Amino acid sequence: MALTLEGHTTRAFDGDLSSLHVQAVAMGALVIEQVQLAVSSYSNWDRPAATLVLERERKINLYDAEIEEAALQLIARRQPVAQDLRAVFAIDKVVSELERAADEAKKLALAVLADSEANGFRPGAATAREARQLGRLAALMIRAALEAFDRLDPAAAAAVIKQDQEMDAEYAAALRRILTRAMEDVRHIQAAIEAAFIMRSLERIGDHARNIARHVGFIGGDIDPNATGVLPETSAVKN
Amino acid sequence: MESAVQVERAGINLKPGGRVSDDTALQTPVEAGKTVGIIAVDDPIFSCRDVDVFYGEKHAIKKVGIDIARNQVLAMIGPSGCGKSTFLRCLNRMNDTIAGARVEGKILLDGKDIHDKRRDVVQLRARVGMVFQKPNPFPKSIYENVAYGPRIHGLAGDRVELDEIVHGSLQRAGLWEEVKDRLQQPGTSLSGGQQQRLCIARTIAVNPEVILMDEPCSALDPIATARIEDLMEELRQSYAIVIVTHSMQQAARVSQRTAYFHLGDLIEVGETDRIFTNPRHKLTEDYITGRFG
Repeated sequence: MALTLEGHTTRAFDGDLSSLHVQAVAMGALVIEQVQLAVSSYSNWDRPAATLVLERERKINLYDAEIEEAALQLIARRQPVAQDLRAVFAIDKVVSELERAADEAKKLALAVLADSEANGFRPGAATAREARQLGRLAALMIRAALEAFDRLDPAAAAAVIKQDQEMDAEYAAALRRILTRAMEDVRHIQAAIEAAFIMRSLERIGDHARNIARHVGFIGGDIDPNATGVLPETSAVKN
Repeated sequence: MESAVQVERAGINLKPGGRVSDDTALQTPVEAGKTVGIIAVDDPIFSCRDVDVFYGEKHAIKKVGIDIARNQVLAMIGPSGCGKSTFLRCLNRMNDTIAGARVEGKILLDGKDIHDKRRDVVQLRARVGMVFQKPNPFPKSIYENVAYGPRIHGLAGDRVELDEIVHGSLQRAGLWEEVKDRLQQPGTSLSGGQQQRLCIARTIAVNPEVILMDEPCSALDPIATARIEDLMEELRQSYAIVIVTHSMQQAARVSQRTAYFHLGDLIEVGETDRIFTNPRHKLTEDYITGRFG
């Protein structure tokens, strides 16, 4: 069944549903910028950029609250069913994923701002390169997931889910390199732990992109208990 | 007991498991008789196959096949003129009363053809009771409205037994407490919602097996509607219920199975849980989401 949020006899329903969708996409665009800026602030140890990330975080939270309110209103007033109900449900979840992705980005900015004069955990060139690489992948995944969500394209969403494996592999490789450097010089252990947390945040952003893609599949009727990402893959209970 | 196997023996083409068509996402209007979803159920009370209804030249119902389960509410939905009420009226041969109406195909109640020449139609309508859109109490007392059926069917030996039937029926219809002190007042003195419950009490007084409801709440306010819906949930413990409704929300609330009709075709049938979250046929999706026409 082709996915569309339009075509209702009541045109105002089209408007409500589309506006919810458009708002979520706009929030997503902001999250992509946020991820890119956070990665750049971390890898360049750029305090003004990190401050900007924290300021924009408030705007993202505002989007989250507004979209949730609009979704509640839509359910109360229109009582959506079938694809429309799945869409409202999925949009609300996509917004939560975006908000959490932004939270992970914020952690990078906080790392930069937590460092005062000591300059202790400033990433070395190698760690900065790894952060840039994982960050680029994370931003690409969020963008691809958001495009699939924007076009309501389950096929494109499936591609994002596959991409997450690449992210996982990159993350594992980055951790190994960080560990190797820590072992070479024990004075780097604290910095290595900090760096590992940063990599973990970037990997989590990829997970949120994957979940967004799963929610797009859900709108298309792929009702998979794993779609929420709550269950680990091994306990998959597919119908 | 009627089973899928017996239906097959009766010369009706039913695939194993009754899975007539399980295609996902059919994009084109369905062919007559090609319903999406599982039409058969275990131990059905009604088993209908290849049912056609004609009003003169008009082909109102086209090769409809569906089973009706015991102790379940089946909701029939669809746009005006789709044939859902016509199909409902086939189940107790109410179409017989319409000049020029012709019903073909098999409709088996507990395995026996309801069109059998030896079948007593009055008896059939006692086993398959009906509640209409507008409450239609007889112009008699509340007591007489309920007592009338058991009396003509000879269900009560004496006045004490009749009193018991009237009491029990009014109680099961959730009306007893409201009318117990005014049983001799006219049925028409009650409110719309009470009248509809009186009609339900009248229907269940003759021990039916199936209750057909044709938009039973469309003339009622939301509170009276909620009471009827609540009552349906209780009644289904004892009876099979088939309801025709224009309210999708009502179908979603009260039924366990939903059937979607469109221009005389039964397009899709399935568990209500699934129909309202993930229908398979585009016509069903378009109708329930309000994208129709």
